[in-house]
Amino acid sequence: MGTKTDRRDYRATVRAVAEAYGRDPGFIIPMLQDLQTDLGYVPPEAAKEMAELLHVPLTQIYSVATFYKSFSLVPRGKHIITICMGTVCYLKGGREISALIQSRLGVGPGNTTADRLFTYQPVNCLGACALAPVMVIDDQYFDKVKLGHVPDILETYAKKDERDRDRD
Amino acid sequence: MELTVDGVTVQAYAGETVLAVARRAGAEIPALCSHVAVAPYGACRLCMVEVKRNGRSRMVASCSYPAEDGLTVLTHSERVQRARRGVVELLMAQAPDSKELRALGASMGVDESRFPTIGPAEGKCILCGLCVSVCRDVIHASSVSFANRGVDRALTTPFLEPSEECIGCGACAAVCPVGAIEIRVSGDEIEIAPFGNRVRLARCAECGTPIGSVPLGERVQRELGDRSTHTVGLCIDCKQRQAGARAWKVGRLRPASRAPRLSPTARS
Amino acid sequence: MSVTEIATKKVTCAADLERVRAESSLRASVETVSVAVCTSTGCGAKGAERVFAALEEALRGLPAEAREVTLKRTGCHGFCERGPIVVVQPGDIFYQNVREEDVPEIVRETVLNGRVVESLLYEDSETGRRCVSSTEIPFYRKQRRIVLEHHGLIDPTSIDDYIAVGGYRGLTKALTEMTPEQVIAEVELSGLRGRGGGGFPTGRKWRSCAQAAGELRYVICNGDEGDPGAFMDRSIMEANPYGVIEGMTIGAYAIGASEAFIYVRNEYPLAVVRLQQAIENAREWGLLGENILGTGFSLDIRINRGGGAFVCGESTALMASLQGEPGEPRAKYVHTVESGLHGRPTCLNNVETWVNVPTIVTRGGEWFASIGTERSKGTKVFSLVGNVCNTGLVEVPMGMTLREIVYDIGGGVPEGKALKAVQTGGPSGGCIPEKLLDSPVDFDQLSELGSMMGSGGLIVMDEDTCMVNVARYFVDFLREESCGKCTACREGVAQMSHILNRICAGEGREGDVELLLDLCEIAEEAALCALGTTVPNPVRSTIKHFGEEYDEHIRKKHCSAGQCRGLFEYRIVADTCTGCGLCRKACPQDAISGERKKPHVIDQAKCVQCGACLEVCSFSAIAKV
Repeated sequence: MGTKTDRRDYRATVRAVAEAYGRDPGFIIPMLQDLQTDLGYVPPEAAKEMAELLHVPLTQIYSVATFYKSFSLVPRGKHIITICMGTVCYLKGGREISALIQSRLGVGPGNTTADRLFTYQPVNCLGACALAPVMVIDDQYFDKVKLGHVPDILETYAKKDERDRDRD
Repeated sequence: MELTVDGVTVQAYAGETVLAVARRAGAEIPALCSHVAVAPYGACRLCMVEVKRNGRSRMVASCSYPAEDGLTVLTHSERVQRARRGVVELLMAQAPDSKELRALGASMGVDESRFPTIGPAEGKCILCGLCVSVCRDVIHASSVSFANRGVDRALTTPFLEPSEECIGCGACAAVCPVGAIEIRVSGDEIEIAPFGNRVRLARCAECGTPIGSVPLGERVQRELGDRSTHTVGLCIDCKQRQAGARAWKVGRLRPASRAPRLSPTARS
Repeated sequence: MSVTEIATKKVTCAADLERVRAESSLRASVETVSVAVCTSTGCGAKGAERVFAALEEALRGLPAEAREVTLKRTGCHGFCERGPIVVVQPGDIFYQNVREEDVPEIVRETVLNGRVVESLLYEDSETGRRCVSSTEIPFYRKQRRIVLEHHGLIDPTSIDDYIAVGGYRGLTKALTEMTPEQVIAEVELSGLRGRGGGGFPTGRKWRSCAQAAGELRYVICNGDEGDPGAFMDRSIMEANPYGVIEGMTIGAYAIGASEAFIYVRNEYPLAVVRLQQAIENAREWGLLGENILGTGFSLDIRINRGGGAFVCGESTALMASLQGEPGEPRAKYVHTVESGLHGRPTCLNNVETWVNVPTIVTRGGEWFASIGTERSKGTKVFSLVGNVCNTGLVEVPMGMTLREIVYDIGGGVPEGKALKAVQTGGPSGGCIPEKLLDSPVDFDQLSELGSMMGSGGLIVMDEDTCMVNVARYFVDFLREESCGKCTACREGVAQMSHILNRICAGEGREGDVELLLDLCEIAEEAALCALGTTVPNPVRSTIKHFGEEYDEHIRKKHCSAGQCRGLFEYRIVADTCTGCGLCRKACPQDAISGERKKPHVIDQAKCVQCGACLEVCSFSAIAKV
């Protein structure tokens, strides 16, 4: 999906999202989350549309969108790789897994690979500590992840993407 | 109500902060993020003081702590000075180019910070938030705000684009305690650095001297309505000349009074 | 009430509820077999949904003359490491580590013939016995499950189940037999203290809020459980959402609020779904909304979500977030019970605190106060995780010692390793060394030890844990999560993080420890909120109890626990190495060489210390030196 530069293109989406919460500015965070679920990220032009619709200053939307780590203002990858960086996951290998993913994909936290396949997003504790270390790719949970398996898991997604592209 | 500040009894009334009361009592308390025009924010942490009540002693930010009857306040105890010096050291490391911070540090006996500058060292901004508050709560423009959080916290316009909301009034520059904001005139525009906001420069209708910004003039006009006819659009001298001529006409000539200038750089 | 309202509500008075309860209990007769599958996040991650689907299909294919079988989804038992967990009644048969392939056997043996499948039972490692019911399992035996009582029994989506086990008795009693003042008095009598970490007396908070000036007031449930290693609240919200709602409704009645919010962190999507469903069901049943149980009391609850910020667990930051703003805390010199959300009196409590409320109302504050220690009443749910045999959620009376929890319930440290420390209270807490393990767990005791109760995370750390790395982890965490508003925390924590990272990289200097302690003092004295003022805890407690590790890192540039990269070496023990070559193949840097069946060697120059070799070696021939 390309980034639209005319914010009116986002009007319908933003309106639908805002209406679901009664246009109550107290629900800006869930609104932005729903927007991100719809569009893959929070386009600046959509944020401007939202500010106007809710009658709040644009600075408020911008501050919120940059303060909370779950939002991305740039398009994200096809697959979001989340590594839990909670204490137990960290001590049981999470740090090494995180380092491996960053070096293999060549990206830092919150960033997306050049081919737009993966976004790496570390998260502070998913609450599944008994299964440490935990990795989540999109909605798929991987528990007790072994360092050695990580390259293979990444390969699976890369290969699947290749197949999908060949098909299209 | 009555408080004791550094051993001196002071009267205070409801709604006052300990900072205001203590200063009235003569205490010198630095408070960079505090300003009479806006509500207390409590960011810089320089105004920390020790308060005692019912035998319990704690450190509080005097800019935000409401005065209470019977409160004992210590503004320069050893404990307070240690904390204050520590905070100024952290600020000096954060904003190494700030002369104001260095002077403040020196006044506390801190010539150099023990801490290295580890952040982006953008020079002067100490993230006190005064520009944000004044723009949002006094000017009602909300042109700038905080972005990100933690060590990445920055003071910017939305999406780092010049803000359409800015009216070029210069209030942000006026309240900044470290001179990190500059108003520049270039050609027909006023630019607010470092935000990159640009507004049209307004010039005196009579003599052409720069007098402020067009949007600000329009705002003043809107808010004053009919009363503004002889006020907006003229530089101070021309305004006074016109006012004098009118007063002469109606026989009520009075010595000229010094009206506040619209913009500090208007005469450049 | 309009005619349509009366027509659509299922319960309009207390008698209605009792009738529903009686009818529900009748349904659970001995003739019925029930199979309960936990499908919460933990078991879900291990494939519980597939097990559920397989069971569903298998049961559909049963002959018509077979006994009636109920299949239900339940919430978290707390023993997540052993998931997926399936419990079969009658007999309270507790199956663990259940896979899809096990389903035919479960149906054939247990469902149809009442026989136990031994291999799926928990094996007590000490006695070698197989435990049939959860009550026999050491992990559960010493627990006292009051908050977690219904976990694993009730279907979290079913309000019938909740009512059947006695749910909403508390609300009925409060609304029809007690005044708001009496409810507050009961909670005060109980001695309940906030379970989110602050430990503030709940009754006192309610009273202050009820007395505050203003007509509009709010009740908030803090579901922003951010402490890494803690998942009690997640479990409760997923397994017993009605318990949370009932507690909040009672609280709202007590303080006079008609609007409430549950703030759930973004990372708990299932909890949001469960709570949302529970709210809708409760509204449908007339247990939420206008004129609850015909008493004239009305309450509505809305769910709002976090955006990924630990600091939003702090009450004023949470309220800012609820106002659609960044989660920046503000000074609490004026308490939130007087001026909170939108400047109005607000009563904010943690999930676990709310769930305790209905029980306190039905069984009485005195009963609650009979459990626990003198100043810490009731039970506490802890997440016992880390280097411990039985990982999961445990609920114990306040006052039980750490040793009992770790050894009697947790089964001790795996692989025969020595216990080094137990970390409590999350990033705001500290590390308690082995020698202090006989300390009772309660609010004040833990604070005295330089730690704190926090929300209930108990992280067990074995001898291979580097305590400097632990301090570095927590400080890095706080640096990431600091809101950045105040100088003391934003700059102070960043400086601490810088120093600790230098130390862990072998660049520590004389004077670093002193600098760290000075920064701790600045943060404690001058920070705006508890995130900043408690950052000294992990640093000071590790320096105090494990100072020799700091010395070793700084002076000898060595990490004896083998965790700080570059400060130790991976070495193959020649005597033990069988030359199988697995490590050579696993090494991504080709740093290992050796002939088949001959001891291999690691080239230290090429080694990047990723640990892949250690992971694959099955002869324990690789050591960290």
